[in-house]
Amino acid sequence: MGRLLRILINSSGLFTFAVLQLLCLYLIVNHNDSQRRIWAETKSVYGSSASEFIADKLAFLDVARENEILRRENAALLARIPGSGYNTSVDTASFQDSMLQQRFTYLASRVVNKSPYGPYNTLVIDRGANLGVERGQGVVADGGLLGIVSEVTPRHARVLSILHLDTRISAGLDNQAFGTLRWDGRDPRRVTLTDVPDYVPVAPNDTIFTTGYSNVFPTGLPIGTVESSEPLPGTGSQDLTVVLLNDPLMAGNGYIVRDLFKDELDQLNTVK
Amino acid sequence: MTSTALVNSALRFVGLLLLQVFIFNQVAWGWGGRDYLFVFVYPLFVAMLPLRTPRPLVILLGFLLGLSIDFFSETLGLHAGALTFTAYCRPLVLRILEPRDGYNIKTTPSVAGLGTGRMFRYLGLLLLAHLSAFFLLQAFSLVFAADILLKTVFSLPASLVVMAVLVLIFNPKA
Repeated sequence: MGRLLRILINSSGLFTFAVLQLLCLYLIVNHNDSQRRIWAETKSVYGSSASEFIADKLAFLDVARENEILRRENAALLARIPGSGYNTSVDTASFQDSMLQQRFTYLASRVVNKSPYGPYNTLVIDRGANLGVERGQGVVADGGLLGIVSEVTPRHARVLSILHLDTRISAGLDNQAFGTLRWDGRDPRRVTLTDVPDYVPVAPNDTIFTTGYSNVFPTGLPIGTVESSEPLPGTGSQDLTVVLLNDPLMAGNGYIVRDLFKDELDQLNTVK
Repeated sequence: MTSTALVNSALRFVGLLLLQVFIFNQVAWGWGGRDYLFVFVYPLFVAMLPLRTPRPLVILLGFLLGLSIDFFSETLGLHAGALTFTAYCRPLVLRILEPRDGYNIKTTPSVAGLGTGRMFRYLGLLLLAHLSAFFLLQAFSLVFAADILLKTVFSLPASLVVMAVLVLIFNPKA
């Protein structure tokens, strides 16, 4: 400290000179037009390259902030790729016809989530209560059935796949014989139609349709074809093995079936 | 610093200020629409401060005199910067011109104190420093180096002559 003080005192002339000279330069630049212009010009000529050089050397100091900015930008960009959007365009098919009154409407939806394959397959679609999806509505996929809506949130719905051990769908043959469609949990390409009376003649490759009796699916949608029939002794019924037309595990789209007469039909069902 | 030196310095401060501002600031000579000859007398104040004056004080006084002249000349900072530099250079010039047996520490740099020849060399070197600094600050760019050189070359003898006349007329002892 003493040494430092001595150095300061010994070179007090230099310090006084430096301070006053800087003050003079400041005054000159700020109060004289020609010098001010020269200074501004000099600054613009050398200043940019100098500040570029300095910024180059000091760039690493900014890395953390820069990183944060880039991370936010990444998040913003990720939010904009199509996969992260919720498609709000509504595709509902219906038509006006004086002879036919619309009963079923179809709402297009995308499958956004699927459970891993198992005995209880479910999936999630990106349409929900906001667009009138309700519990118990059916979902059809291209060329076949997909499942039945079981849970509904405002924007999404959970669907019990027809490949779910608890799913029961009313299905029948062309000749009005009908039974219950269920899955035995073994082969995702085959389902079983049970409770078909054993006197009904069934031939392989007969087509199985929905009956529409449960107000879940429209009448007459093809489900699959009969592969084999097996009479169950003593019950008066036979089980039909049905090969599905579609592959529910591979479905990417689903059309939610809305029965406009559901309330009316439900009233009838509650009458004892 | 004796009281005589103090009074003399104060008088020189005011006198040189008035002389420079009201008379020698009007002097300018040149050709081709440009002025190359100017007369500066106020560095004499810094030159003739007593030898024992502390260096920071010399610099501060030089700054103040330059600033005062700047206020009258509407060149804020120019004269002040140049005279601050001159005041800073004063000990260096004195060391260059130091006689073999050293200075009498109590004297004032004057004809009597330094001798005529050494006094004028001293004034010349100080003026050289002052004029170079002043014209450099005035041009504010080395692009005008030729201008700075010409102005210094023309102004140095003129200023030195005026200073010599003043020193010889008044011939101060302190």
